[in-house]
Amino acid sequence: MVAFILAGLITLPLLYVIFSAITADTAVWQRLWTTRIPELLFNTFSLAVSVAIIDLVLGVSLAWILTRYRVVGSTFWDWLIILPLAIPSYVLAYTYTYLLQRHGPLEQFWQMVAGSDAQTFSPFSFAGATLVMSLNTFPFVYLLARSAFKNFNISFEEAARATGASRLSTFFRVSLPMIRPSLIAGLFLAILYVVSDFGAVSMLRYQTFTYAIYQQMTGRFDNTAAACLSLLLVSLAFAFLIGERWFRQRSRFYQTTGRYRKPIPQACSSIQNLCFTRYLIVVIATAFGLPVYLLIQWTLDALTAGDLTTGFMGYLGNSLFLAGVTATLAIVVGVPLANLACRKQTWASLLCIQGAYTGYVLPGPVAALAVLVLITQLTPELYGTVIVLLIAYLVHFLPVALQGMESTLQQLSPNLEEAAKSLGAGAFRTFSKITMPLVRGGFVSAWILVFVQCLKELPATLLLRPVGFDTLAIRIWLEASEELYQLAAPPALLIIAITIPVVLLLMKNPTGEE
Amino acid sequence: MTDTPPHEPPIVLELNKVTCSYEADRPAVQEISFAANKGDIICLLGPSGCGKTTTLRAIAGFESVAEGTVLLDGTAVADGNHHVPPEKRRVGMVFQDYALFPHLCVNDNVSFGLTQLSSDDRRRRVEEMLSLTGLSELGQRYPHELSGGQQQRVALARALAPQPVLLLLDEPFSNLDPDMTYKMRGELHQLLKKTQTTAILVTHDHEEAFTMADKVAVLHQGRLEQFAAPETIYHLPASRFVAEFVGQADFIPGEIHNHVVVTEIGNLPLPKNYQGHKHVVVMIRPDDIEICNSESHGAYIETRQFRGSENLYGIRLPSGHIIHSSESSTQFYALNAQVAVNMVATHTVLFEQPQNP
Repeated sequence: MVAFILAGLITLPLLYVIFSAITADTAVWQRLWTTRIPELLFNTFSLAVSVAIIDLVLGVSLAWILTRYRVVGSTFWDWLIILPLAIPSYVLAYTYTYLLQRHGPLEQFWQMVAGSDAQTFSPFSFAGATLVMSLNTFPFVYLLARSAFKNFNISFEEAARATGASRLSTFFRVSLPMIRPSLIAGLFLAILYVVSDFGAVSMLRYQTFTYAIYQQMTGRFDNTAAACLSLLLVSLAFAFLIGERWFRQRSRFYQTTGRYRKPIPQACSSIQNLCFTRYLIVVIATAFGLPVYLLIQWTLDALTAGDLTTGFMGYLGNSLFLAGVTATLAIVVGVPLANLACRKQTWASLLCIQGAYTGYVLPGPVAALAVLVLITQLTPELYGTVIVLLIAYLVHFLPVALQGMESTLQQLSPNLEEAAKSLGAGAFRTFSKITMPLVRGGFVSAWILVFVQCLKELPATLLLRPVGFDTLAIRIWLEASEELYQLAAPPALLIIAITIPVVLLLMKNPTGEE
Repeated sequence: MTDTPPHEPPIVLELNKVTCSYEADRPAVQEISFAANKGDIICLLGPSGCGKTTTLRAIAGFESVAEGTVLLDGTAVADGNHHVPPEKRRVGMVFQDYALFPHLCVNDNVSFGLTQLSSDDRRRRVEEMLSLTGLSELGQRYPHELSGGQQQRVALARALAPQPVLLLLDEPFSNLDPDMTYKMRGELHQLLKKTQTTAILVTHDHEEAFTMADKVAVLHQGRLEQFAAPETIYHLPASRFVAEFVGQADFIPGEIHNHVVVTEIGNLPLPKNYQGHKHVVVMIRPDDIEICNSESHGAYIETRQFRGSENLYGIRLPSGHIIHSSESSTQFYALNAQVAVNMVATHTVLFEQPQNP
């Protein structure tokens, strides 16, 4: 079947990396174990755990506030809160290298409060990385918690309170455990993001696996060492991926026609309103408002100074081309795979789907490494062309499309397709008249999601792009690394501007459901 | 004088020892055989997990048949070897959750199965179906704008529009309020009889089966326990399970002497051709028992349930067995009152003594 062949092709890069790592010389492994690996493991784990904790607190508290209380302007806040997702992690990182620098604006602000000897932490540290990654990923947890709270059957909470539990107690003992699967799925997603991130950690020079792999490939040209590190990273990512899927499975559902009562937000006192609003403002400002304000300022400076070169349109064109082609390919390849996952649950099909999801455990540098090695071995004539980049993009982003498509298909009750069949519709008519119209929204969302992720992609592009083929992301990274804040700002702002409507659209229509 | 046999309507559906299984050693449905004549309404009745929905889906074509044959209008559509897919069977189905296409309005839902007709014919047929089900004004509405009862009618109209040879209904009333259910049952019965539709209805409610069906098939753990008219099922159940499932049933021991079944509360005629054991168990229905006040018979009233038109009394016999009696509620017997029990059964229903009483 088509799906199997596709899945097989997608798994090839991962298999190759594993193969390289396993057959590597033990001397390489030994060197890595004694020098880099313990540090990398510790760094990656500690970053992931601390980000997870902060995300949990931020995401759940904000979701709770906005779903259970009628805060003034709550629709407005709803939109604003997910805007941080529109900022690529390396853009957030670079604005914070400016904000948190020695004698920078945040330090001056802090000194006003805590005295002129007070110092803020350096961005190039664990604290800096944690701050940036938390601010960038908490909306994942927020969105999932929000959706879970909104679709919550209020009868559970009322039953708890009827037995005498206080509001707080009900929250911790009933509401929170009931949305736990969704929460954990969201957390694992955020952790996966952190573990695979390259842009922010490289900009903040925080040594995690992704950064180390990149250094091995570009600094030392040691692809074997890179493969070994990749194997470890992949195993880590794999563990979290399995966890995330398992928890998501537990909160799986069909379109429900059952009756249950949804929660109604209740009024809050003006003090509560004030506190909630302040909290919301602080979070949104640090995660989005402040960085964007800086970017706008820098862009205006760059424009007035005439720094925008004609190359800019070329970079934009490259970005759009890569993103568009990858997104379309991802949907086309994903349809048979998603269909397989949802309709025929056999061992073979499950294995097939997991194969397609390997892209998730292949962070940018690893995907690039894998595709690079494969291409040089199998089809060396493609080396140095855009096609290599496209293949790497597809392998890396297919899971994003698959996830959206699978979840959309899952929500389609199988009874609808059976009803169509009982009325005489064959497989094709059932698909085109019934399935397609109902999943179209979700599939379009998946396309958009892949498109936007591709626009922001950094490491694979850095490693595989043909000479002279720069994208917006590359320019940002190159210029920001040299602290040319102003030059890096316009492309950054452009990416954010393109991403914002997409993020807002997805918020309105997450995974294609109402 | 020659006897002209009564004109039997043709057989529309026939199941011959149909077996369906999800796992090799645990069949969901085992060797079920029954037949439906044109215009019959047949109920598949049984508790959850008895295999009634699996049987229905096997008739529709959504489940495959491991052994046995399913015949529609005399043609085999499923047996162990080949399987005609649902879209080719012309069997209409109403799902438990109605499965109305959410993105199509009522008109489009109902006309979905009418691709063979010209667009004029299609429009006419949709109008006909909507007026038949009382939904004429709702053609442009969408499923989410309709009430539960209206949704069910749309599902019915949609399934009947292509004039299927058979209509299957999977617990069609389970999503409705009780008062709605009562009304809809009557309407459905009328509609089916009016259109002369052969229908198979799955339900776990014996009352529903009795009001709707011409014949009832009682299923238990994948097997067909009895297939007969509702009155037969109630008064002459084939097994203890059937007896208990379709109404209040009590069982008291009896002994056979001289072609008579002797029990604690009286003697009953022995059914002809009875060839079994001397010790039996007799089934008693509440309507078989009459009570009257008495001073000294050792039986007394233990429980009373008011049911509107009648009282259901639970009577403790001297031997310790409990039987029930249904009496008109204009009479009243107090708890713990001593009563005399009189059996007025017109027939005897006997079962074997259970192995381990």
